[in-house]
Order: sequence, then structure tokens, then C-alpha cells
Amino acid sequence: MRVYLARRIIQSIIVVFVMVTLMFVIFRIIPSDPTAMLVERGMPEETRQRLLEQWGLTGPLYVQYVRYLTNLFQGDFGLSFFYSKPVWEILAPKVLNTLWIAIPGLLLGATFGSVLGMFVGWSRRGGAIDGLGILLATVIRGAPPFVTGILALMVFSGFFDLLPGFGMRTPGANPSGFAATYLNGDFLQHLILPVAVVALTFIPENLLLMRTGVLEARGEDYLEMVRAKGVSEFRVMWHAGRNSLLPVITWLFPSLAETVAGIVLVEVVFSWPGVGRELVFSVTRQDMPIAQAGFFLLAVMIVASNLLADLVYSYLDPRVVYK
Amino acid sequence: MTLLKKSKIRRASAVYSEDRAAAFDPSRVQEAMAIWAAGRSRSVFAPLIETFGLLVKDRMAVVGMAIIATLAVVGILGPLIVPLPPFQALKAPDGTMLRLAEPSAAHPFGTDYFAHSVLSQFILGIRIAFLVGLSAAVAVGLISTVLGLVSGYFGGYLDDAIMRIVDIALSIPTLPFAIIMVAVLGPSLENVLFVIVLLYWRNGARIVRSAVLTQKERPFIAAARALGASHWRIMTYHILPNVLPVAFLWMTMSIAFAVLTEASLSFIGLGDPSMASWGQMLNLAFQTASIRSAWWWVLPPSLGLILLISSIYFIGRAFEEKTNPRLRQRAA
Repeated sequence: MRVYLARRIIQSIIVVFVMVTLMFVIFRIIPSDPTAMLVERGMPEETRQRLLEQWGLTGPLYVQYVRYLTNLFQGDFGLSFFYSKPVWEILAPKVLNTLWIAIPGLLLGATFGSVLGMFVGWSRRGGAIDGLGILLATVIRGAPPFVTGILALMVFSGFFDLLPGFGMRTPGANPSGFAATYLNGDFLQHLILPVAVVALTFIPENLLLMRTGVLEARGEDYLEMVRAKGVSEFRVMWHAGRNSLLPVITWLFPSLAETVAGIVLVEVVFSWPGVGRELVFSVTRQDMPIAQAGFFLLAVMIVASNLLADLVYSYLDPRVVYK
Repeated sequence: MTLLKKSKIRRASAVYSEDRAAAFDPSRVQEAMAIWAAGRSRSVFAPLIETFGLLVKDRMAVVGMAIIATLAVVGILGPLIVPLPPFQALKAPDGTMLRLAEPSAAHPFGTDYFAHSVLSQFILGIRIAFLVGLSAAVAVGLISTVLGLVSGYFGGYLDDAIMRIVDIALSIPTLPFAIIMVAVLGPSLENVLFVIVLLYWRNGARIVRSAVLTQKERPFIAAARALGASHWRIMTYHILPNVLPVAFLWMTMSIAFAVLTEASLSFIGLGDPSMASWGQMLNLAFQTASIRSAWWWVLPPSLGLILLISSIYFIGRAFEEKTNPRLRQRAA
């Protein structure tokens, strides 16, 4: 177990290192003049030089690379051009905002998806419920999240005027303190649509995973055993469902990172001030320090959650052998 | 056996005995030749055709194919039926610009904020979706197949190297990577396609490789090797046809991913400015704050994207269902 753990951690560190190098290539080498991306045009030469130095853009490439790595590992991403503030100061609150819609959305999607998947998998194969379940799951999966968001906005915020779909609170509201900011009706109302869209995008994967699991479990001997005990058919289904949860759970962790990366556009649609929307803004504003830090954050999250998924899997499934 | 020249038999048995120097058994060479001769009459595309035959038995896959075919026909014939150019500003009878007009007999899908016909733009969007989807799919399919074949067939260090690269590539956050790459490279069709290919070869290579691995150890490969077939011949003639269905499936799925990625990039304004794709229609509707009211402008591109992508997923799901032996057993 310890060897397995150590190997996976070393692998993850290597992946992060490669990501960091990839970022260096994207931001410094691919653009013909990286300074044009990093420094606004029309800036006085003196300021330009100072910014270049601050960004470590002077000297040969390998020197730049070493400087870039040292800064990164000290957690120094520089100053945002747009806000003139340290990058972390800008991104930290956005991370929280993103998690507000990512985690509830993911959990709701996983719960609904796996329960529905259990029923679909238990129904007669090729029957009406099975067909309907697959049909809905595939159509929802085929709908890009931002399209679902736009349609939700059009219907619930436009036609019926039921729910707000812009930002985190009613314009003008400027609460302070955690409780006043997050634990009030206005915030919760604003939360409904984005969370629903994120949840909806996660139902299909869970539904199909669970359906396959239950379908495979249906012929297993242990279910015959449960049935022989004389319990109701619902309990038998519950047994099959519980035993098929494993792929759903392991899938949850990597998908948290993918959610955060994937809800970029959901945040844009609902003007939700999260990391993803900030990333999109930073790209249009040519605010490369923020773009770089945002990408790094998302990449590290994906690597970390993959690692976590492997560890959870090996803990939950006794059949997994550590090598 | 008349197909075989004597020299070929001799060479085959020589190779075979080299491989199994300790236990050379002439009857196994004959067995190998029999397998080789039996396999010869099959077309290279036979596995692909057989798989297609399985897919046609799945009702949802057929519906998916029908939807894709319909969209393709509309995309090809559309400009003949609806000759209105997509970017011509339309005028109302009183001379004012026909902005955000509701659907009418003259303009069945209405007009957008810029007084352009939504129907003409929708049809143009089909063409762009197919252009992006097909060209990305061909590139992704080629790269995945070649890498998967080489990696799976040769194994060893080469396989290790390619698979480690795939592992690392798989931890790239898809959409953020696409956004940043296109922003740095500049928004153009070539760059969007380039980024899509960079993102989706990784899964394809892995899938093809695992299909190659299941083929590699089959007796007919050993037979071909015993008969002196070169690596190139074994890869292209004996393994490739059997992994073509999987490679083809990944190509089909890549169409969906490419359309999705292009639409996402266009929606945030990073698409090719000269390509009025569905994503760009939605971007304009969003930017002009029309999505709450102008449903006739929002629905066509939205439903177009959903229809096209889900149709492809239907095909992919049918394939998985028909080829997953664990599911197939329980079908009865």
C-alpha cells in the first residue's frame, strides 16, 4: 500500500511539473512576441522594462524558465494587469464562488443520476423504461452545458420570469460577512438555475454508469441468494444498486475537477463570478497572469482528484491489488 | 495450399522454428497456413461492415444516423432552397431594418438583431459544423490509429513512452486548455481545429491500443508471423482491419467533441470571426441580451447542436452495448 501510494504521488508530481512546463511553452514560446501578450501595448518604455523584469521576461529562455519555476513554487503568480493586485487575491474568492455551484451540482447530479440509473438498469432490458432512460440520458449528454444554461435562462428567467439568472445577488445588494452573503433567500434564488444546470449535465454519466452496473449485477449469484431470503424485489434491486455504486463513486472525484473546468461556460451564461468566468475575462482582457494562474489551478485540481480517486478506489474495493 | 510457394513455406517454417526453436512441430505450421488461407478471402473492411450491421439493429442508432443524414442533406441542399444570403440585412416594407422579427411566412425562422435571416444562418451553421467535425475527426482518427497501432503492436519502451505522454495529456483540463491555446494562437479555423486535435487524439490512441492488444495474441497473428509476414504487413493487413471498427467509432465520437468544442469557443467569442457557426449565433444572441425574448433566434442553433451531438452519442452507445460481452450475455 505504501509503495503504491508513493508511486502515485510521484507520478502526480511529474504530471504537475509537465503541466507547468506546458504553461511556459504556451505563454512564453508559442507567441511570436510574448511581451506583447504580457505587456499592454502603448506603455512607456520604462514601465515596460520594469514589468518585463517583474515577469522575468529578460535574459535567455532557460534563465527565464528557472526563474518562472522558482516563482511558481513560491506561489508567486505576479500581479494582475487588469486589477493591479496579486493574482491570488483575485482568484481565491472566485474559487469559493465556483465551488458553490460545482459541489451541490455534482452531488445532486450524482444522486439523481444513480437512483434513476438503478431503476433503469433494473427495468426490463429493451423495454419502455430502459429505452426512455437511455434516450433522455443521451440527449441531455448531447446538450452542451452552455446551451442547457441558455435554454434554462430563456424559459425560467425569460418566459416565466420565475428565477433570476444574472450573478450571485440582486444588483445593488452589497452584503458583508459570510452569513449575510451566502445564507439568505436572494443568494439561494440566484443559486437555483446554475446548480440545476450543473446537476443536469451530471445526471447522464451517472445514470448510464449505474445502469450498466445494475445490468451486469442482475445475473450474479449473490442476488439469487438475497432473493432466496424472501425479501421484497425492491430490496433485491437496492442490493444490486449498492454493489454497482463503485464506478459512480470513483467517477465522482475526477469529475469534480472536470466539473470545475466544464462549468466555465455555465458561469459565463449565468454571469456567475467564478474561476471559469474570470479565466474567460482574463483571456479577452489579455490579463495573462490571471489566465496562467487559473489554468494552473484547474490542472492541479484534476491531478489531485485523479490521485484521490485511485486511493479511494483501492480503499473501497478490496479486490484491487496494490502493486 | 496451392496459394503458397514452396520457398515461402520454407521461410515460414524457418521463422517459426527460430521462434520456437525448442519445440518445433511441423503440424503447427500447417495449422498456421490453414488459418492464413482461411483469412485471406475476407475483405479488409469486413469487420467494419459487420459492426455496421450490428449498429443498424439498434433502433436509436438508426434514428441518430437518420438525423445526421437529414442535417447533411439540408446543409448541402439548403442554399438552393433558401437562397437568401445569411448576412444580408433585411428590410421591412416600410424601409426600416427588420430587426428581431418574429417568424413569419417570408422568414420562417424570423430575423436576428442585425436583421439577418435566422434560417439562412442556421443552414450555414450546419455546413460549418460538418466542416469542423469531419476535418477534426479525420485528423484525430489518423493520429489515434497510427499511435495506437504502433504502441500496442511493438510494446516495450515505445509503448511506455507513448502511454506516459497520453497519461499526462489526459490530465489537461479540456476547455480551459482550448480557451488559452486559441487565445494565444489567435482565433482562426485552423487554430481551433489544431486545438481540438491536440485534445482528442489522446483518448483515441489509448482505445485503439487496447483493441490492438486483444488482437496481438490471437493465433492468426502468430500464424502470419510464422509465415514470414513483416511487421508492416501484420499491422496493416491482419490487425488494422480488426481495430478499424473501434477507430471508426472514435472518429465518429470526435465529430461530436469537435462540434462541441468549436461551439464552446465560439460562444465566448474565440471562434473564427469569418465562420458564423451555431456557437457564434448563440454568442451574438447572448451579447445582445436577446436570449430571454428572441426564442426563434436561440432555438435553432441550440437544437441543432443538441440534435447533432446526441445523434452521434446514440451511435456510440449502441456500439458499446453491442460489443460489451458482459452486457451481451445478459441480453436473453
